[in-house]
Amino acid sequence: MLKYLATRLALTIPTFLAVLTLVFFVVRVIPGDPATAALGDYASQEAVTALRERMGLNDPLYIQYFRFLADLARGDLGKSMITGKSISEMVRQVLPYTLELTLSAIFVGALLGVPLGIYTARNSNTTIDYIGRITSLAGLSVPAFYLGILIMLLFAIKLKLLPAVGGGDLNDFKSNITHLALPALTLGLIMTASVTRLTRSAMLNVLKEDYVRTARAKGLPERAVVFRHALRAALVPIVSIIGIWAANLIADSVLTETVFARPGLGKMLVGAIMQRDYTALQSVMVIYTGFVVVINLITDLVYSLVDPRITH
Amino acid sequence: MKRIIVLITLLVAVLIISACAQPTPKVVEKEVVVTQIVKETVIVEGTPQVVEKQVEVTKIVQEVVTATPVPKEPVVLRYADKAADLGTMDPHFAAATNDRNLVDMIFNALVRYKPGDGTQFEPDLAESIPVPEIVNGKQVWTFRLRHGIMCHPSDAVPSYELTADDVVFSLNKSATADTSAYAGEYSGMSVDKVDDYTVKVTMEQPISPVLFLPKVADYAGGFIICQKPYEAMGAEEFKTHPVGTGPFMFDSYSPQEKVVLKANDSYFRGRPLLDAVEYRFMPELNSRELGLRSGELDVINGAAEGQWVKRMNQEDGIRVDVYGVGEVATIHFNLTRPPLDDVRVRQAIAYALDRDEFLALFGAPVAANVYSQVPAQFLAGGLTKKEVDDLGLEYALNIDKAKQLLADAGYADGFSLEMVSSERESYLKNYQSMQAQLAKVGIKIKINTVDHSSMHKLIREDVNPIVIYVAWRPNADVYLTRFYHSDSIVVTGAKPDTNFSHYTGIDDLIEEARVELDPDKQIDLWKQAQIKLLTEMISYPLQYQNQVTARWDYVDYGHVLKSALALYPQITENTRIVK
Repeated sequence: MLKYLATRLALTIPTFLAVLTLVFFVVRVIPGDPATAALGDYASQEAVTALRERMGLNDPLYIQYFRFLADLARGDLGKSMITGKSISEMVRQVLPYTLELTLSAIFVGALLGVPLGIYTARNSNTTIDYIGRITSLAGLSVPAFYLGILIMLLFAIKLKLLPAVGGGDLNDFKSNITHLALPALTLGLIMTASVTRLTRSAMLNVLKEDYVRTARAKGLPERAVVFRHALRAALVPIVSIIGIWAANLIADSVLTETVFARPGLGKMLVGAIMQRDYTALQSVMVIYTGFVVVINLITDLVYSLVDPRITH
Repeated sequence: MKRIIVLITLLVAVLIISACAQPTPKVVEKEVVVTQIVKETVIVEGTPQVVEKQVEVTKIVQEVVTATPVPKEPVVLRYADKAADLGTMDPHFAAATNDRNLVDMIFNALVRYKPGDGTQFEPDLAESIPVPEIVNGKQVWTFRLRHGIMCHPSDAVPSYELTADDVVFSLNKSATADTSAYAGEYSGMSVDKVDDYTVKVTMEQPISPVLFLPKVADYAGGFIICQKPYEAMGAEEFKTHPVGTGPFMFDSYSPQEKVVLKANDSYFRGRPLLDAVEYRFMPELNSRELGLRSGELDVINGAAEGQWVKRMNQEDGIRVDVYGVGEVATIHFNLTRPPLDDVRVRQAIAYALDRDEFLALFGAPVAANVYSQVPAQFLAGGLTKKEVDDLGLEYALNIDKAKQLLADAGYADGFSLEMVSSERESYLKNYQSMQAQLAKVGIKIKINTVDHSSMHKLIREDVNPIVIYVAWRPNADVYLTRFYHSDSIVVTGAKPDTNFSHYTGIDDLIEEARVELDPDKQIDLWKQAQIKLLTEMISYPLQYQNQVTARWDYVDYGHVLKSALALYPQITENTRIVK
């Protein structure tokens, strides 16, 4: 296992390098100039030229690239080209918001999706199954930002139960949880749709297996048949989809954070693109890449826990 | 399964109830002082006697069950802007609307535009607006500073009194390209300290007050920063930890979320009526609108659309303010691109366009037509509708005349043009409307939509045969210089800027007006310049687009809101929440 882990970790280095290189050059291919974006159209040309020099944008591209890699190797994400603030510090401030949103959404998605999938699988081709399938299909088709606005209208405007916007105070439980509820529900419901469909289909396959029939024939209670025998075998694809969704949710958080005006990596990414803040943009992409790599690794490791036949 | 569902439901319910519950009453230990009667034995003349004695001070501990005391809620105004994040709070680099809004609350200047009315000046840090003197051919403006103006305290430097040193330092910073985006505005100007409370500003070339006062007013480079904290923390740190003298001072900045400003208790015009201002970054209009309607926000930056204004005004308790200064949309023709080098073609385009059709896209009261390059509604030197009408330069819609002019120029069948537009509605709608209107006279336009920043870069690289530009400039000289002086021609000018037309015909009028001290003559020169621009149809003035903000009716800005150069309603020491 340790050898497997070491190999996987070693393989992340070329993955990271490829992504970093791609991000570095793609960011610079986007039309628009950070200095002009920062100073606005009223600024004098001398000021724009002076700022470009200070930002290091007049240096040859390869020098900027190696400087970026060298800083990163030292664990330094650099400073924002616009505010001059340390990007590590900015990330430290906003990352908890993205993490809590993603984890809560996974929690909601798995908590609702898996039981619904099992239930509809056990009651396949009944009215409830049809309703579940149509609802989950609708859930997959609704964009996160649209669902977010509908949820805001219902819970914040009509029912006035929860706040519509903002991230709340991380040090204040009530403020934090109330501000988290609606965005987590938005992302969680979208994930639920996907998890429900996959769980249903995995369970349908497993429930037809001989060993399930045997378990029933032995007289085992239905609950034991479903949860101990069938679900265990269906877990591998379910873990896969949850892993995939964990990575997707981080990307979906871009829209959700913007709609709910929550601080977070997604909103930081949007701001960096709008302001042409190359260093911030690169850093956020590095962190996103890191997340995807780690989530994939964890997913692979969990396989062997849920299915002992899988060994590394 | 059912049990699990019940358990989960219970868990969620408990979480919601606990989050929404009132503060839990607390048991506190309280020390109280009481008097007690105690009996004690004393010896009186050798005989023990029991006497009652009042013990005055006895401390006992009492347990009191009490609700958590509710502290007095600070009065906080929550404002949401369309920006995704802060740019800078160094006022000499603040260019984005959100940055301009913030620095307006933190800093002062020698003079200021009257809050809510961007057409009038009044003294700010200076005791009065001086009358300039001519000394050895140079123009000298002597400002006497108010006493007792305190710089905000900061981690770097405690609060201290602002003096002439700060003013000299600040204006010199504004004049330096490395430390200011507006350095170009300060060439030919020197600043000297006379004493701690007197500053002398000398202009190499005398100019009129209309042109001088904006340089020392609360807009762009005119803001005065405090020297000591700037030097102590450095330029980079100052961007996110600004120190000024304004009614509100910096408290905290949460990236992508908000900047919190708190009341400056020592503000020289008196303590603000608000305790704090939360300035939130919310790029999504729907989110701002929902935040306002749910009561989580007090004021929001709205949409520049008549329909939106109408809809929001119908909401109970919500008021929409539409006010200047209006950013002017103008169509600039590139004279280096055939067939636009032919005046008949440019005039044909002007006759084929209908201002009212453009206007309908934004709707009253958000936008209004303009008839000259300098908006007469806001600035001295603009031409009114009647004036251009009298001169026959209105270019009212006349398709037949447009077709005739095109035929005369040899383009009876029209021609094709390709150009880029910003994705922003204030640009794209105008480009698309122009495209539809010109198709009627056979001119085919292909629009390539790019993001806003890219558009700015590309049009400065001279890619467009026609540029629609939306901008506010503080006076007629800046409008005319930056859009029509030959030095400002994009790419090839001596100081490349925003002369997209490559026009060189009014340099003399601009320069003459700049040094004219008689306001009437100066205005006349500016008008002459614009008459020339209209006659040769160098650009077609379209409309101005006002600022739109929505607020709850309990928000009182403390001033009548007509126009604001800071591009927001202006939150001052007099702004209050009246619930």
